[in-house]
Amino acid sequence: MKTIFTATILGLFSFSTYADTQQTHHTDSATGAKTWETHVDGVHFSLTQILPDQAKAFYVNRGFSLEQIEPYTSSCVYMTVLRNDNAPGDIHFVSNNWSILVNNKPHKLVPVSQWVKRLSDAGVKKSAVIAFRWAQFPPEQEYKPGGDWNQGMLSIGLPADSIFNITAKWDIVGKEYEAKLEGVQCAK
Amino acid sequence: MKQSWKGYNVLNRNSIHVYAGLTALLFVFLNNSHSQELPPLTHSLTPVTKAVKAPELRFQNMDQEMVDIKDLRGKVVVVNFWATWCPPCRREMGSLERLYQATKDKNVEVLAINIGEDIDTVFSFLGMVEPTPNFQMLFDYDAVSMNKWDVKGLPTTYIIGPNGTIVYKAVGGREFDHPDIIQKVIQLGR
Repeated sequence: MKTIFTATILGLFSFSTYADTQQTHHTDSATGAKTWETHVDGVHFSLTQILPDQAKAFYVNRGFSLEQIEPYTSSCVYMTVLRNDNAPGDIHFVSNNWSILVNNKPHKLVPVSQWVKRLSDAGVKKSAVIAFRWAQFPPEQEYKPGGDWNQGMLSIGLPADSIFNITAKWDIVGKEYEAKLEGVQCAK
Repeated sequence: MKQSWKGYNVLNRNSIHVYAGLTALLFVFLNNSHSQELPPLTHSLTPVTKAVKAPELRFQNMDQEMVDIKDLRGKVVVVNFWATWCPPCRREMGSLERLYQATKDKNVEVLAINIGEDIDTVFSFLGMVEPTPNFQMLFDYDAVSMNKWDVKGLPTTYIIGPNGTIVYKAVGGREFDHPDIIQKVIQLGR
């Protein structure tokens, strides 16, 4: 465990920057997972790949069978963070309003409620469905300045190795803001 | 806090051998690698300006005794919603215990509401937390408190004043042992 931890720290990271979007990305050499992140108008936004086997391990230990969770774990899942560090007010978002472009064509997120229904209908036990629901990035949330944030899983609903652009959108008293991550890649 | 060990039998035993290593790696990834990229947990508490009475909260604790927040009227109550699989919940748990130790003799109670897990799972996790939590762990097996308390993501923490109204809220992980938070909590209890 200590070795993995050390490797994880030392493995940070190959680094590159999109100057025009203030976007950075890096790869964790211990896991191979890639992270894309940006900081716009006082808000931090990042996506970190969750590799399919990592997602399977997580959900099998929550009570899913491999067959039950496979459609989700193969749907391009990210550990997503949105954090209000010092935005000029309370931020509010609905993640289904975020836009995704794949080859310049719009792509819609599968709502968390739809995943929950699909899993419930498949006979997944209640405690596992509860863990699934609350492990997801919140479909809607408000963050106060000074550090309100969440970290949760977000399924993009794309095949492995797909590349997409995502724009997170939020509003502050009706005024809209956004943060874009470009060239994000689904794990293989 | 009296706790009992009943055997860790909640996992799918056929899968555990295959995925135990991957799970350990995932927790390292979630808790260590990713946390390296994140700024340190902050110590901000958002004042709740509108006087809102704390919703109903009544669940069993580790000893399977019922705990009702109504019975804590007159005390400051820190209510933390969490789960063992939630990385920021894990990050803040030790600091919550240090807050408890700093305030437990100053009219303050800490209630950690676990969402959807069983006693064995929680007990197993608590053994890894440093310092080991001694505050009350309550079990909301069906996640019924999430809507009542308007919790949209884990962890979320509320601080309830002695008159039963919500005074502060924090969405996401925090350093609860920061002197600013300890001072605010103690002042509420005076």
